[in-house]
Amino acid sequence: MQRFEFPRFEFVGRFARNRGALVGACLILVVALMAVFASVFFPTDPLRIVGLPELWPGEDPEFPLGTDSLGRDILSMIVHGARATLLIGLFASAVATIIGVGVGAIAGYFGGWVDEISMRVAELFQTIPNLIFVLTIVVILGSTLTNIVIAIGIVSWTPIARMTRAEFLSLRDREFVQACRSMGMSDLRIIVSEILPNALPPVIVLSSLVVAGAILFESAVSFLGLGDPNVASWGRLVGDGRQLIRSSWYICAIPGIAIMITVLCLNLVGDGLNDALNPKLRDR
Amino acid sequence: MSGQALPLEITDLRTTLFTRRGEMKAVDGLSLSVGAGETVALVGESGCGKSLSALSVMRLLPDPPARIVGGQVKLNGRDIVPLPEEAMLGIRGKEIGMIFQDPISSLNPVTTVEKQIVEVLMTHTELGRGQARVRAHELLELVGMPDAARRLDAYPHQLSGGMCQRVVIAMAIACSPSVLIADEPTTALDVTVQAQVLALLKKLQADAGMAMIFITHDLGVVAETADRVVVMYAGRKVEEASVDELFENPLHPYTVGLIGATPTPGAERAERLADIPGMVPPLNALPQGCAFAPRCKRVMDRCLTEKPALTVPGPGRLVACFAAQGG
Amino acid sequence: MAGELVSPTPALRGSARRTAALRLLRRRLIQAVPLMLGVVIINFCLIQMAPGSFLELMTAENQVSDPATVALLRKTYGLDDPVWMQLLKYIWALLHFDFGFSYRQNMPVIQAIWIHLPATVLLMVSSIALAVSIGVAAGVVASMKVRTFWDSLVSIAAMFFYAAPSFWLGIMMIVLFSVKLGWLPVGGMMKIGGASSGTWAGVLDILRHLILPTLALGLFYAAIYTRVMRSSMLEVAQLDFVRTARAKGLSRNKVTIHHVLRNALLPVVTILGVQMGTVLAGSVVIESVFSWPGVGSLLFDSVSSRNYPVVLSIMVLGSLVVIAANIAVDLIYMWLDPRIEIR
Repeated sequence: MQRFEFPRFEFVGRFARNRGALVGACLILVVALMAVFASVFFPTDPLRIVGLPELWPGEDPEFPLGTDSLGRDILSMIVHGARATLLIGLFASAVATIIGVGVGAIAGYFGGWVDEISMRVAELFQTIPNLIFVLTIVVILGSTLTNIVIAIGIVSWTPIARMTRAEFLSLRDREFVQACRSMGMSDLRIIVSEILPNALPPVIVLSSLVVAGAILFESAVSFLGLGDPNVASWGRLVGDGRQLIRSSWYICAIPGIAIMITVLCLNLVGDGLNDALNPKLRDR
Repeated sequence: MSGQALPLEITDLRTTLFTRRGEMKAVDGLSLSVGAGETVALVGESGCGKSLSALSVMRLLPDPPARIVGGQVKLNGRDIVPLPEEAMLGIRGKEIGMIFQDPISSLNPVTTVEKQIVEVLMTHTELGRGQARVRAHELLELVGMPDAARRLDAYPHQLSGGMCQRVVIAMAIACSPSVLIADEPTTALDVTVQAQVLALLKKLQADAGMAMIFITHDLGVVAETADRVVVMYAGRKVEEASVDELFENPLHPYTVGLIGATPTPGAERAERLADIPGMVPPLNALPQGCAFAPRCKRVMDRCLTEKPALTVPGPGRLVACFAAQGG
Repeated sequence: MAGELVSPTPALRGSARRTAALRLLRRRLIQAVPLMLGVVIINFCLIQMAPGSFLELMTAENQVSDPATVALLRKTYGLDDPVWMQLLKYIWALLHFDFGFSYRQNMPVIQAIWIHLPATVLLMVSSIALAVSIGVAAGVVASMKVRTFWDSLVSIAAMFFYAAPSFWLGIMMIVLFSVKLGWLPVGGMMKIGGASSGTWAGVLDILRHLILPTLALGLFYAAIYTRVMRSSMLEVAQLDFVRTARAKGLSRNKVTIHHVLRNALLPVVTILGVQMGTVLAGSVVIESVFSWPGVGSLLFDSVSSRNYPVVLSIMVLGSLVVIAANIAVDLIYMWLDPRIEIR
């Protein structure tokens, strides 16, 4: 029996999905703009005390999202926190992508024992519980922004490596690659300039999902109070508000919502890109 | 039809695919009857509506998009088209058995052969589990499964394609149905195994007096199994004849082409029909006249504007073609 | 396709499958050795990379000045030896379950972890059970009602729980269920001065404390399993054998439960194995939120006080748990899918 397409329903479904990805992309853009223009909107230091402590959202029109236990403007902190959160997410994803693409490309291109060892190493990094690994690295090497970014990158590269490897495996024996080989092109050049551009699109989609994961990681680390003390990311704001949940739970709630929306939108965008790339797998 | 009702009598069956690109008449007014012990072959290229006709009879259409929009399917005199789904549950597997094209994927990969046969027995008969298992063993012997006792515990991936098809056949005939629908039952099998499975089907049918619809695109198989042949094209019946008459004197140009395209036994199956140029037109872009006209060697002006109706050129024969009617 | 006469592999009866399972177990155990070795080496590298001397590291914040202890440590870890010798000695120590001494708890590290282990195991098991049961149920419902209101509802809920940070979800649930409604305890594992854990009242008390942490940790994974289960169900439902089952006269529900479900579970089982480590890691955060007295709390405490021996040991033992869990998952997979045959 043929597999039947469901065009009428598919249309509705695809529309909804695209709409999701579209909304996600727009919201991400808003968050990114917030991050970029944080100092324009709120030129003063967000950690400065500006009003009465524990003002509820809406209580004072000057502070739409209220103030925290010290009287700092929560909106200002959220806007400034967007910068830290997004940058950490992006950089950590970049680290993961560089490691993952490097390992995956070499494993997939050369195959054999190189592949075997690379995949064992990937397995090793999947074995160590990720957040425990991050905490260990951060606590031993110090809670600096760089260390956190690298640590998150180190625990997030394995899926990218697996996907890159799979792409390389399917591409390395294609005719255009063999043609390059017969022309005496070096392995490195074939990998970088011939195969990689073809393998990249799905990898980029995955990287966008890794950004979402990295943001969640960073927020957990900061929430536990192990983040960079000089950076007020959203996770840290949740952690700071934790002591006051009996009286002023909104201090905790607001930055958490910011994290959730950002991660949600990144996932939506990633899913949307994925659907666009693999129309056959749309229903997965 | 006086006296006893036929096991299966399809009248003016219409099944339509409701898609975004419009409604497609996948089965367009098919009429067909099968007597007890008779085999009717339903022949045509893929996409001509054979399989959807069979699934319509079983009421197993993928809905959406496919739905029966008209006609009758009389099973031993009772029209089953209006029956509710619950009533169909008692008909499928009990009164109508069905065999599918790809035997290995037709079986659940994570369940043993025995459980899959027992399941159908326990659904439709009063047998207890123990009795059903004994019966399953008997059925496997009946379908000629080598070393049947041991195969009961086997999983489908441990069996060959031919053995899997024997299991599927065992399930289909487990409750002695009056109608058996075989949808390309041998297409996925080796030529030698094909012959064995065909012989098995013929024997089982003769023993039980089942009515059988045999769907295939391979006229070589038709010659060996069928009593009567119905040729379908683009959802419509274009010719019907007894198997001998059809091969001796095919009337419809499409049938002529099909016979010409039948490969000699042992040769690689022809995926495309060499004698008929072009492809089956998509159902949403059927020509205004005869659907076969664009590929027809004997096409006339009339064929392009008018759909030929079925006529009776001789006793027991039907054909829908202006050229065959002599203009 | 093979002809009729080709004799296929004989059916695996009970005992044969057991042998196959044992063979799988043995192979996985052998594969686990280099993996564990890798974990230990990474661990060792981290120690080497750390600023400050090894001794400072291993004795944590309690700067041990007792010369006898220092001498003992120098000897145990071979600090005067070349690096590779140190590594060997480190491995040797770990092989004897010598994970060092925690001055903070004033007991061997392994003992400190052992004390905290039951609470974490309880939390992990209940969270995974919750995640799998919710995920499978929701995925099945969504797939059976595909493209309807219920499907959308399930998908949207899954998207939210997949994006919500678990610690934040935990805090919000405390606000709602403990602070506002007063239904459930804020944190901890037992009521202070309440019934002892041996009695029914004690067990009930622990269960009450378990609800919120389980939800906070489990819902994220429930979201993942829901999505996987839904797409897996839809995919399996398209397969030929499902149509065969329908042609046998089985009802839609029966077909779904007896034929689709079991095949659709396979990807969920696979993911379960892959994610065992992240569940363990997630429990660190959740335990901190709910003051759950498990390994996570111990880790958090040790991280905050820079108690390196405990931190490193938890990493090694955590990896060991993940490897063991993966082997268990492999065996489950084999039991579910007869097509897996080990050569």
